[in-house]
Formats: sequence, structure tokens, C-alpha cells
Amino acid sequence: MLARIKRFREYLRLSGVAGISRRYFVLNSFDGAMTMLGIILGASATGHADPKFVIGAGLGASFAMGVSGFSGAYLTERAERKGRLRRLRRAMLSDLRSTVHAKASFAASIWAALIDGTSPAIAAAMPMIPYALTLFQIAPSWLAFPVSMLSILATLFVLGAFLGKISRENVLMAGLRMLAVGLVTAVIVWAFGGFRIG
Amino acid sequence: MEYCLVATQIRKILLDVLKPHEPPIHELASKLGSLPGISEVSISLAEIDQSTESIKVSIDGTDISIDTVRKSLEELGAVIHSIDQVSVAKRAK
Repeated sequence: MLARIKRFREYLRLSGVAGISRRYFVLNSFDGAMTMLGIILGASATGHADPKFVIGAGLGASFAMGVSGFSGAYLTERAERKGRLRRLRRAMLSDLRSTVHAKASFAASIWAALIDGTSPAIAAAMPMIPYALTLFQIAPSWLAFPVSMLSILATLFVLGAFLGKISRENVLMAGLRMLAVGLVTAVIVWAFGGFRIG
Repeated sequence: MEYCLVATQIRKILLDVLKPHEPPIHELASKLGSLPGISEVSISLAEIDQSTESIKVSIDGTDISIDTVRKSLEELGAVIHSIDQVSVAKRAK
């Protein structure tokens, strides 16, 4: 098992998939967190902050983003890698089918799909936890909204800080930048929610 | 024509190899160096283009198997263009 994991990591290193994985991770986690921000704020602003509704909508969105992320990334990466492999075959005048290049190509597609599928789902699932605790009467209902919002904003900050670390910028400023995007979105959604169609 | 079938061992070969940019030559050398019967591997870059590199691979050992070397290279996506030099010694009884 360990040998298989080591080999898989070697294939990932050979395929150079680390960069695009990081991009998929941040982009899709951001999508997941912002989707839940929209659901929770929209539900609260229109007076439908029932935990069952929030969890139901959140799970649906989480699952849809996971499936679309996984399948979309797999098909996209697969097409991209196949094209690259074909060009390499032409340059090498060799099949390359049973070489590390073909295996690395496949491994890269699977890895990108896993990252793209799980990151939005996880980012979307975390804000639902306070509502789940409320539903099972483990936590008081008034706590769900603020804790959930805090967890979303914390996620955005952490994602921004992660980007700052990658680009070797000020981590705090990078985190605050991403947080600002979330706050602006929150204000807009809350403002629109105030216009109730009755 | 008669052939003298005396058991021999390949002690040194020099290969002209075409490979993609990945894996880099130090990894290729390490992979070849780990094969049985090989004691030393030396690789130098001869030419490079957008997708491929031509390299010279010099292998020293006690009993080099060309088939094993070829398979190892092919697994890494490399192709032997030619065997440019070979040294062989009689197998010790």
C-alpha cells in the first residue's frame, strides 16, 4: 500500500499537477464557501432560516458542486493531458503507452478531479455544522447563524492567507483581501434579501 | 561461418538515447544505477529541443544486461537510438 502511494506521488510529481491542484483547491473552496454564504444569508434575509431548509439546500448544493467539480475536472484534465501525451509521442516517435508518462497523465487527471470535487463540498459542508447542531438541539438556535457566518469568513481568510503564502506576499493582507470579498458579497445578498417579493 | 560461443559479460556500454524532458537525467541515472550488474552510470546532455533531449548514457558494471537497461529506459519514456560503444570481457569460470 505504501509503495503504491509512493508511486502515485511520483506520478503526480512527474505530471507537474501541483500548481493546477492548488488553483482548483482555492477556487473551488471559495465557490463552496460563497455558495453557502449566499444560501444562509438569503435564507435569513427572507425569513426562512429554518435549519432543515439551510441543511437541505446546503447538502444539495454541496453534492452538486462535488459531482460537477469531480467530473468536470476529470474530463478537462484528461483531454489536456491526452493532447500533451500525443504531442510527446510525435516528438519521441514512440508509443509511450506503458511508460510513466501515460501513468502520470492518468494520475494527474484523477488527482485534479478529487481536489476539484472535494474542496467545494468540504467548504460548503462546514458552515452547515452549526445548523445541524441546532437541528439536533445540541446547540441553541440563535447561535447557528453567527457561528456559521464566522466559519465562512474564517474559511475565506484562510484561503486568502494560503494564496499569500504561495505568492510570498503579506499573508495577513492576502487573507484580509479575500475576507473583504466575502463581506461585500454578504452585504449585497443581505441588501437584496431585504426586498421581499410578497 | 563459425561462431565461438564463449560466455562473456558486458562491462561497459555507451548509448545514444532520446528522452522527454521529464524525468530529469539525474533520476534516469539513479534508476539505471540501481539495476543489477551496474556499478556506475554517467549521462551527458547532447542536444535539447522543445519536447525532447538527446543524451549520451555511459554505463559501467560487472555484468550489464542490455535488455534490462532498454526496459528501464522505455518505462521512463526514453528510447535507445543506438549503441555507440561496448566493452565485453570473458566470463570468469
